[in-house]
Amino acid sequence: MAESLSARNIVKRYGGVVALSDGNLEVQAREVVALIGANGSGKSTMSKVINGVVVLDGGQLLLDGNPIHFSSPQVAKNLGIATVFQELSLIPQMTVAENIWLTREPLNALGQVDRKAVKARTEELLALFAGTFKTGLHPDSPVTSLPPDEKQIIEILKAISFDPWLVILDEATASLDSRQVQRLFELVKKWKEQGKAIIFVSHRMEEIFRIADKYSVLRNGKTVGAGDIKDINEKQLVKLMIEKESVLGFLRGEAKSDEKIEKEISLEVENLTADYVRGVSFKVRRGELLGIGGLRGQGQRHLLHSLFGDIPYTGTVKLFNTELHFKHPREAMRKGFALVPGDRAKEGLLYIRSILENLLLPSWKRYGLPLKVGNAKKEAIRVGSSLNLKMAGLEEPVSSLSGGNAQKVVIGKWLMREPQVLLLDDPTKGVDVGTKAEFYALLTRLSDEGKTILFYSSDDEELIGLCDRVLVMYDGRIRSELAEKTLTRENLIAASLGVSHGGAE
Amino acid sequence: MKQSRWDALAARQPALFALVLLVLSLIVNLILQPNMFAKDTLNSNMRVFLPIILMAVGQAIVILGGGIDISVGGIVSIVNTVLATRVGLEGSPGEMWQFVFISLLVGLLAGAINGFFIAYLRLQPIITTYATSFLYAGLALLILPNPGGGIPGSIAALYRNSTPFNLPLAFYVIAILLFVWLYLSSTRYGKFLLAVGGKAEAAYETAVPVTAVQFSTYVISGFTAALAGIAITMLSGSGNADIGNPMTLNSITAVVIGGNALSGGVGGVVGPVMGAITLGIIQNIISFASIDTWWETLVKATIIVVALAAPGIVNLFRRRRA
Amino acid sequence: MKRIPISPPVAALLLAVILFLLSGLLPNGFGSDMDVARAQAMNILRLAVFLGVIAAGQTLVIISGSEGIDLSAGSVVTLTAILTYVIVNGADEKVLLALLVSLAAGALIGFLNGVGVTFLKISPFVMTLGMAGVVTGTIIVVNHGNVSGRVAPIMTRLIARPLSPEIPIPNALIIWLIFGILMWLLLERTTFGKNLFAIGVNRVTARLSGVDVTGMNLATYALAGALAGFGGFLVVGNTGVVLLQLGQPFLFPSIAAVAVGGTLLSGGKGSYWGTMAGAIVLTLITSLLTTMQMPESVRRMVLGGTLLILISIYGRQKSLRQ
Repeated sequence: MAESLSARNIVKRYGGVVALSDGNLEVQAREVVALIGANGSGKSTMSKVINGVVVLDGGQLLLDGNPIHFSSPQVAKNLGIATVFQELSLIPQMTVAENIWLTREPLNALGQVDRKAVKARTEELLALFAGTFKTGLHPDSPVTSLPPDEKQIIEILKAISFDPWLVILDEATASLDSRQVQRLFELVKKWKEQGKAIIFVSHRMEEIFRIADKYSVLRNGKTVGAGDIKDINEKQLVKLMIEKESVLGFLRGEAKSDEKIEKEISLEVENLTADYVRGVSFKVRRGELLGIGGLRGQGQRHLLHSLFGDIPYTGTVKLFNTELHFKHPREAMRKGFALVPGDRAKEGLLYIRSILENLLLPSWKRYGLPLKVGNAKKEAIRVGSSLNLKMAGLEEPVSSLSGGNAQKVVIGKWLMREPQVLLLDDPTKGVDVGTKAEFYALLTRLSDEGKTILFYSSDDEELIGLCDRVLVMYDGRIRSELAEKTLTRENLIAASLGVSHGGAE
Repeated sequence: MKQSRWDALAARQPALFALVLLVLSLIVNLILQPNMFAKDTLNSNMRVFLPIILMAVGQAIVILGGGIDISVGGIVSIVNTVLATRVGLEGSPGEMWQFVFISLLVGLLAGAINGFFIAYLRLQPIITTYATSFLYAGLALLILPNPGGGIPGSIAALYRNSTPFNLPLAFYVIAILLFVWLYLSSTRYGKFLLAVGGKAEAAYETAVPVTAVQFSTYVISGFTAALAGIAITMLSGSGNADIGNPMTLNSITAVVIGGNALSGGVGGVVGPVMGAITLGIIQNIISFASIDTWWETLVKATIIVVALAAPGIVNLFRRRRA
Repeated sequence: MKRIPISPPVAALLLAVILFLLSGLLPNGFGSDMDVARAQAMNILRLAVFLGVIAAGQTLVIISGSEGIDLSAGSVVTLTAILTYVIVNGADEKVLLALLVSLAAGALIGFLNGVGVTFLKISPFVMTLGMAGVVTGTIIVVNHGNVSGRVAPIMTRLIARPLSPEIPIPNALIIWLIFGILMWLLLERTTFGKNLFAIGVNRVTARLSGVDVTGMNLATYALAGALAGFGGFLVVGNTGVVLLQLGQPFLFPSIAAVAVGGTLLSGGKGSYWGTMAGAIVLTLITSLLTTMQMPESVRRMVLGGTLLILISIYGRQKSLRQ
């Protein structure tokens, strides 16, 4: 077993984008180091450098003081480094057992996989999390049929199955419920006693303070602080993570008008049921900024996508008292709906096409046949400047834009159509602080103009600062509705974890 | 998401469907040709089916790994033309076996070339093997511009008449291949194959040697295509540079009938072998159904399209129901 | 991935020029005779027209992404050539009808391809390959060995002849130029074109931005089929005769032409101008090989090798390790 790993001055570029410019991390056996940073700070890249999945462009890795070079994930794995990935590394069609033991299957004398041993050892591992599963989890269950939290547990078991000395938990608790998180932390304590080292990549303060011994903070690709957890508090950590004291210095509270004008109900949803959504009902008013909260993967994305006509659902949806049931995003678009999806690279943008084409994608029909591109360009420039979009030119590919500007294109695409209902799935994910502030201003302005806005965020601060009301979803249902006085961090977190709270309905 | 028991069974044993089809087609064939299982008829059928069965094995492994090999027909043609010209009708059995050995090397090399471009240079499998198929087909034509040449009559007779223990020679060949596969699939390699075909990025992060695995599947496919080339040369007894052309699509259809997903990661080799036999039997049935020669090509092609479409149609109904 | 500084269509044209100049240096080449050179250049361009039109449909399906390709183009060309031949039968009045029938037949076959690809989730390669067999089978049925028919004089006048004795530009070239402009309009100045690029890059984004992906897919394959049908109409107008293998020699080059022209084989980026340049390059290569008296086998190998080299430069996918 090794005793220590150091990463010094790590540089990593993806094409033109610099993910890490000066990443540093020190981890020793028998301790938990929290690798902290906001979305887009370079946390995941750091863990990918350490486990050999990506090649570093600069800097050094040292194992027990000796420089080391990972030419492939295999090398890192052979040296005892295991990772629980954020984007799961499970093979969907294979079973739980097959996934856990992949590349490390116990063999018999003939070199064949020893199925009995596999099954027995899998059951041993599953027993570590006994009592926290919702379904009957067997070694032979195909992974694709499991809910996200159980998939995450399999990912964890897979990582520790070969008794590594360093375990990297990359946002591993994102899909777990409170019982499972508790069990995981118990295991982490045991691993420390066994001499293992753990890197806990996260931005969830409560968990960090529960489990970590040391901390290391990344901001915009640079390590800006490191030390013992006992020497620091949450506020100081947050300050290290983000540049300004509070992004939401511009809080909605200031911009909100004092009188609460009772606007009419615009969107009414009754018993909406879809994949991962189990009977959701709520009402939204015109001009309201309704937030949806909760841990990721509790049905928020599917709720938004059903409303937009992307996923089939049962239930009733009414817009200004007219019932609607969209079967395709095209229909939703025509009725003034807009969706800013959660993964802009995979769902929101055409990466290799120009900024112009991305902005115009839903709207070309308006420009005649043959397309009057000149008019299109004018309108695109208008929207771009209203969003303060920093670009080299409309013809540049969208891949040349920074995260925040790229997200502006996604929003701009819809603003060109002047939608009345805006659905947003974690719109400020991976967006820099300055752009975040611009977005908050934009959303506030739009809601003041009378648009209906529904937005999911995994950032509690954001929800509290921006929204009038927040519906917290857990396990496909609305767990709580928080507003005004009940809209606090404690209540948000509690509701996210499925714990009911005293107070509001 | 609940699945009906039939669905779950079908998902875990994709070859089941192939088995059903095989049995059905056997029954129809038996009706039209009652002496189908007589020793000579069986032997005659099996040696005609053997080439496609051999190709289906290799193709199945490539497709399991997430790729596809369009060049197999070209490799068959090269092997056929090499044997027909180098050995010839006047050749000795010793020369024949010498060139059989060389053909296997050729198959391995052709497969390695494919594997290099696809696994190491990361080119798309379809367009790469399409390009190499032209390369290989052209080479075959260069070796033998006009149909002709041949192999020693004694060898062809050997192939035709061998029935050790009263079973067709083909049975033994298939049995050996299946035995090898059953062993391979029970090792780590078998798991690697399914992982790479299922989700290559996840396999990579799990430290599966993705590149090596993908490379190996093409080498295997080249090898089995060479075996198929040898078999078909022994069957026809002569050389023809176009001999491999129709075989490529047949090998893919056999794999699809066999229950393997074209996208990879699902299935095995037993199903495709059954699929290849089924395809052969269907072609038998067509011959017996005395269809007008003019219509034969169309009927055969339509059956292939239907066979390729079948899994999609089944899935369509499954999705509508869900 | 390396950045290529010159735009691919321009690079392709440069390559064409270089190849042409090289051909002049050959024993049967034009040497320093300018008139012969001009005549030869015109001839090459004229020949390139037919490949160019047939490659238009190919361009569309390749841009549409998801491994889009149309391997039925060759057989559609043959089919529509025969249909035209038979319908026209020498009569000028029947030409328009023949053209419409060609377009409709091509569109129907393309539509069937689209259905298989979209609803049955069959990979385009496999689906169109299977369809090619069905179309060939249909041709045999319709053909029954020989067809009687003739091309109409007006077709020969419009397609095979030059504009006028004073202006030695082949009419076919003018048709091609108009065709090229229309294709440009389609791709760059219609919603269809914009949507086509969108689905080629990212179908999820396209759908979430309101594009009817299913409809686009069906329309693209149908249109590609219709364009291949138009190609068949032109080809028979040029040659005046029909053969069973009339369209087949155009198939592989049509794909290579698209690739040479810089259209990404993964979809989402490209232009018809590039394909036109690519068609010229490929016609040059073929004609060079003919001038050097190389047999068909070498032609095939060169074509296969060319595509292989092309995709090795342009077509490398993201490596597993970044």
